[in-house]
Amino acid sequence: MILTEKSIAEIKEKAVHYPVKKSAILPALTVAYRQVGHVDEVIYKEISKIIDVPTLEIAEAATFYTMFPKKPRGKYLLQVCNNISCALRGSDSMIAHLENKLDIKLGETTEDNMFTLIGVECLGSCSTAPMIQVNLDYHENLDKKKVDSLIDELKAKKD
Amino acid sequence: MHYSPVITNAEIAAKDKDLHLFQYVEDPKQCEVETFVSRGGYKAWKAVLDGISKEDVIETVKKSGLRGRGGAGFPTGLKWSFVPKDSPKARYLVCNADESEPGTCKDRVIMERDPHAIIEGMAIASYAIDCHLMFIYIRGEFTHCIEKMETAMKEAYEKGHLGKNIYGSGYDLEMIVHTGGGAYICGEETALLNSIEGERGQSRMRPPFPAIEGLYACPTIVNNVESLAAVPHIINRGAEWYASIGTEKSKGSKLFSLSGHVNRPGNYEVPLGFNLKDMIYDPAYGGGMLDGKKLKGVIPGGASTPFLLPDMIDVALDYEALQEKDSMLGSGAIIVFNEDTCIVWVIKKLIHFFRHESCGKCTPCREGTGWLEQMINRIEAGQGQPGDLEKIEEVCGNILGRTICPLGDAAVMPIQSALRLYRDEWQYHIDHKECMVKSNFELK
Amino acid sequence: MSEAVKKDQPNVAVPTVTFTIDGQPVTVPKGTTVLQAAKDIGIHIPTFCWHPQLKSVGACRMCYVEVEKMPKLMVSCMLDAMDGMVVLTDSDQVRQGRRAVIEFILINHPLDCPTCDKGGECDLQNLTFAHGFDDSRYDFKKYRFKDEGMTSTYDDKKIGPEIMLNRNRCILCYKCVRSNKEAFGEYDLGAFERGNITQIDCVPGGEVNNPFSGNLVEICPVGALTNSDWRYKIRVWLTKTTPSVCNFTSSGTNIDFYKEDHQNKIFRVTSRTNDSIDNGWIPDITRYGYQIINSPDRLTTPLIKKDGKQAKASWDEAIAHIAKKYTEIKSSVGGVCIGGLISPSLDNKSLYSFSKMIRTVCKSNNIDFRGDYRMLPNNPSSPFGVLRSQPFSIAAIDDADVIVSFGSDLIHEHPNEYLRIRKAYNYTNPKIYSIMPYEVKSADVANIEYVYNPGTDECAINAICLAAIEENLVDANLAKEYLQKVVPSTLKDAVTLCGLEENNLKVLARSLAEGKNITFLVGEIVTRSKARDNIAAALLNMNKLFGISSKGQISILARYANSKGAEKLGLLPEPIAQIKDVLKKNFDHYPESEPRNTDDMMAHIRKEEIKGLFVVGSNPMMMYPDKEFIKESIEKLDFLVASDLFETETTEAADVVLPLAGWAEYDGDYINLEGVCQSAKQAVKPNGQSKPAYEIIRLIAEKLESKNFDSEMLDKEIVACLAVDTTIAFPIDFIDVKPETEEISDANTLPVFIIDDAHHSGHLTEKAPSLNNFAAEAYVMMSEELADKNDMKNGDSIRVESDMSKLILPVKISETLESEVLLVPRNFQSSPVTSLFMRKKRVDRVKISKVDK
Ligand SMILES: Cc1cc2nc3c(=O)[nH]c(=O)nc-3n(C[C@H](O)[C@H](O)[C@H](O)COP(=O)(O)O)c2cc1C
Ligand code: SF4
Ligand code: FES
Repeated sequence: MILTEKSIAEIKEKAVHYPVKKSAILPALTVAYRQVGHVDEVIYKEISKIIDVPTLEIAEAATFYTMFPKKPRGKYLLQVCNNISCALRGSDSMIAHLENKLDIKLGETTEDNMFTLIGVECLGSCSTAPMIQVNLDYHENLDKKKVDSLIDELKAKKD
Repeated sequence: MHYSPVITNAEIAAKDKDLHLFQYVEDPKQCEVETFVSRGGYKAWKAVLDGISKEDVIETVKKSGLRGRGGAGFPTGLKWSFVPKDSPKARYLVCNADESEPGTCKDRVIMERDPHAIIEGMAIASYAIDCHLMFIYIRGEFTHCIEKMETAMKEAYEKGHLGKNIYGSGYDLEMIVHTGGGAYICGEETALLNSIEGERGQSRMRPPFPAIEGLYACPTIVNNVESLAAVPHIINRGAEWYASIGTEKSKGSKLFSLSGHVNRPGNYEVPLGFNLKDMIYDPAYGGGMLDGKKLKGVIPGGASTPFLLPDMIDVALDYEALQEKDSMLGSGAIIVFNEDTCIVWVIKKLIHFFRHESCGKCTPCREGTGWLEQMINRIEAGQGQPGDLEKIEEVCGNILGRTICPLGDAAVMPIQSALRLYRDEWQYHIDHKECMVKSNFELK
Repeated sequence: MSEAVKKDQPNVAVPTVTFTIDGQPVTVPKGTTVLQAAKDIGIHIPTFCWHPQLKSVGACRMCYVEVEKMPKLMVSCMLDAMDGMVVLTDSDQVRQGRRAVIEFILINHPLDCPTCDKGGECDLQNLTFAHGFDDSRYDFKKYRFKDEGMTSTYDDKKIGPEIMLNRNRCILCYKCVRSNKEAFGEYDLGAFERGNITQIDCVPGGEVNNPFSGNLVEICPVGALTNSDWRYKIRVWLTKTTPSVCNFTSSGTNIDFYKEDHQNKIFRVTSRTNDSIDNGWIPDITRYGYQIINSPDRLTTPLIKKDGKQAKASWDEAIAHIAKKYTEIKSSVGGVCIGGLISPSLDNKSLYSFSKMIRTVCKSNNIDFRGDYRMLPNNPSSPFGVLRSQPFSIAAIDDADVIVSFGSDLIHEHPNEYLRIRKAYNYTNPKIYSIMPYEVKSADVANIEYVYNPGTDECAINAICLAAIEENLVDANLAKEYLQKVVPSTLKDAVTLCGLEENNLKVLARSLAEGKNITFLVGEIVTRSKARDNIAAALLNMNKLFGISSKGQISILARYANSKGAEKLGLLPEPIAQIKDVLKKNFDHYPESEPRNTDDMMAHIRKEEIKGLFVVGSNPMMMYPDKEFIKESIEKLDFLVASDLFETETTEAADVVLPLAGWAEYDGDYINLEGVCQSAKQAVKPNGQSKPAYEIIRLIAEKLESKNFDSEMLDKEIVACLAVDTTIAFPIDFIDVKPETEEISDANTLPVFIIDDAHHSGHLTEKAPSLNNFAAEAYVMMSEELADKNDMKNGDSIRVESDMSKLILPVKISETLESEVLLVPRNFQSSPVTSLFMRKKRVDRVKISKVDK
């Protein structure tokens, strides 16, 4: 099992509140994503056992949603909103800046497996644009200086 | 966890007797149930359970003139009254906190800073439709909101505002915080219901409408966060008070998310009918154009609403006035862009979004958005061909009104409007194989 | 919708609506869609995503119509007809809308129809010609799905034993995924990703191998799903169709053969929708089973054994030899020393001729068609016979408010009826219960699944009755009478024996007592049990107590394509009384001899009282659950004639082997489990020198100087038999029912049951390559827990040992099983699992052990 006892318990706790078993699919995927950092076949099968829903339905749902990476990724998933409000505030150039700084292209992961850089659609941070979501956390009202120090902080962070 | 640094007009709201949604949003303590209750929170919920009939609650909300703040502006009380009285099935209330329309970030502020207001509104709405299990569907990326709502829910259970036999009234009400997985379409109410059911978040054909056959095939009401947050105030202060705010047909106050090239992007609560120009230029609100550049256009109601040209912005922010300008109030997301902005580039960003978010169920939206994106990208890249604009218009025409849910319409309306209002710029792109302005917004 | 309305209020007039379509007035029941209403009056509206057996989703947008006063085009598949509507199906706006949809679909659809296998029967191709543009306005590269799994340059990908998927051709009508889940309850095919990169695919890490998978290919409107059976072998327009019925199941689902005359070959089978039987779905056995006809392994000439070896012979020689031997036996020891065993999958005329020959030429009653069952009752009006003779209607399942399946692994035994129950589950929502000695997948639609201890079948039934009595749900006087007849007579004692749960039984008892329209079907567990009469008696008591038959139906379902026909045509050793009367009239002389069923015949062969046996289409050596018993008997025979399509263990032992024609090779009539007589037409000429059974029988009979086998005469006599109602009246009184238990040996404790593999039926399907792609060898199926307990994994070879024999079989872990039982499929010649079984056992038991590699 990849999912920990804690995650399994959390999934089960969430599942009991729903009138229908299948409803626990998204909550279960969310728990799995938060623990593992991505979801895939192996996890679909584990979830299937925990909530007693066919693996197929979990895979169908999971691939519909874009928030869960479907492959392992770097320790920090840099999700740059590149929709209109952020773009008007320079998110294109922020991506270029990050590509430069991390020496990767959009969609790639740094060699040390620290950072994966992706572009995402509007994250509801339009009045605080531009922004990056790092794993679960929002970083808003960014400028070059803040981006640089954010990356430096993450690099320096010891877990 | 991070507290959103978004600017609000809470100070104004605290002083204005008509504004109510943002009164306390600058006080971090407002999230705590004690503070919330000390400021009159859960008073309306108690009053309702103490002896206001379901019919009276619905009647009051009807009279207040409250209209849905999720985008469509449907009268809230009327929607509630569609739930069949004699159905033996369970009923459900779902608060729509998916907030994914580009430009929109208002519900988030309430969730982060006044979560109990939403729970109270949801509870009253649940009671009105005789629902005993209510859901709030929060977009999955909003980790912070999710935590805030979950904590508030726990507190509400602990203090007896939710659960069994609430306030000794005999009424039971449970709540589930359900979170999304990254899909704009799940804000559309029928897709949202599929998403809660564990299905792929594809939209369903209507009829049957959710009020008749929604979640788990039971009568269901879906309301936006902001709509529900207004409800306790309506119960507390009366329908007349609420109806006195705003304009003749657009009543109450509304949150607007202001973004783009203004000096003070932020979230502002104003009475409906507030002037858009003031919203952009008033120092208490937008504070004017960023770097003093010239205004080129405004998207007044979120990414799916038609544009306004600079000479159209002296307009009231309400459902009717914007419709007169061939646009819409939508979700109240005002996106402002300046003279350095290429309109084709704007549309490229938007169509990419709608193509990416199409659920893939119905043909015109699934295939049409992909085709449009390719044609628009080509024009933006300076490879547009004669006839492209006409073709885009035809394809738009084949999507508009031909799809299961309004996402198809949402995708084409800004394109049609941009082609109508900024035709020269499109033509220039095709004729000169390049852009007049070349958007290039540097990160500060 | 309209059906449900009708059902709830049988006596109330269904409300209707009246409106016009293209100027024609139409009146339809309220709740009818515009699309359906148009169909009813012959107006065709094109569709992609709509299917008559699936809930509409309105996805493809092809079925647009214009409705007066409605500003937008409406999709007619989801638009309920309303009074006064004015609908146009062919206006300019509608045509424009359809054209736009086709244009959208085509932007990412390859335009390589000449290389697509669906060419000629593709809905997209046809509708493009009818409604589309002449040329494409899309000038970008088409999106192309590609991945490692693709095996050809056409981007085809194998997603199951038979199914190939081409995602680029898929138009996302979702019919495959919807039918798989909705109609079949299967979760091995799905839709993944979203938007314009949405794709159909099999479950990650799995394959599409469910027993109904062929239907997905059939309903795919384009060349996205194809099967290896048909793809790229022939163009559809070069084939002709012949109507037929399924020969592998007992419902007689309606099918079409696709054949090509020059090659005298069948290319495929598709459904030929008959809503009263199959709703247009056919299981894979039905779809691919025809391949046995084309098999290169077919017996093509008669064989005669000389000096212990079978050698080719002409029909004349073979018939002469048989006639000579039969005459010898008859004149030395008498005709009653000849017996006959025939397959219940043969047509009416073959069955009837066989009976007539055995009874009038050999003058014996040594005849049976039930070569796969042990210890059958000889008396047709035994409790088993009574329940077996009761009428059953498939379509009546639609109207039931309570459906009980007892002792049937439905998907394997009666796939078509399972789909019917699923349909009820989806649309009318009856209460459904499954009662079995082990868990079955078909219980997925059941409100409650009851699993009783193996060998306590009658006790489980009694427990239901006792629960009803305890809850005062049945007439008190009846209850009193009933209690005198049953042991044990308290619910508590009954549940201790059968292991069911009291409260659950009470729920079922209530449904049976309160149900207004009950379907109660009984399956192979009962038919195969040595205690079948005792179980049937318990069921008859239950029927009397609850009055099931007076408010619905209760019957033991027939299992083979023409079992019902065999019963109606007098093939039982002792025919049903009404039939015996007709036979007495049909025949000059009805034999006096003792009726002998399969068991009795074998026993008398061992006693050397029967010397000659004629076996047609039957393979008792492989199928009878006590292989040793049959083998020893057959070896004792003086003279064995066996006729079949293939060499079998039985034909191998024969003195004369006669090549039998398959059902697709001649015209024949078959009576399905409902008693409905249906025709299967000849699609191709008989392979080699093979002949239909009735032809073979006529040749033998004529050689033995009987003139009574001409076609017209037989037809007339058959008609006379079929005209008779063979239902046997229920007994007036309750019947004594006591538990029939047997000792369990210490060594072998694990109960084992014979099943049919989900893709096989009987002994012939092993010759259909497509079916072997799903399963080609026997296995031993067990629950995950049992496997874990014995440290066994999927695919491990293990030893299965009974008192009779031992076999080495691979383990197959079942997703459904939980009980400690084993299931073994009897369909594979290489591992004759029937050798594990003993004729006199009620529940066979074995032990399992690991085999060292
Ligand atoms: C594509 C699409 C996205 C939507 N997204 C949202 C959303 O994020 N939040 C929301 O409240 N309503 C959204 N809506 C509107 C909902 O369908 C629904 O009308 C609304 O939640 C009803 O609540 P209200 O009556 O309070 O406005 C969306 C609609 C469409 C068509
Ligand atoms: S594979 Fe065929 S049946 Fe399935 S969705 Fe695609 S086009 Fe429809
Ligand atoms: S057939 Fe009606 S939308 Fe597909």
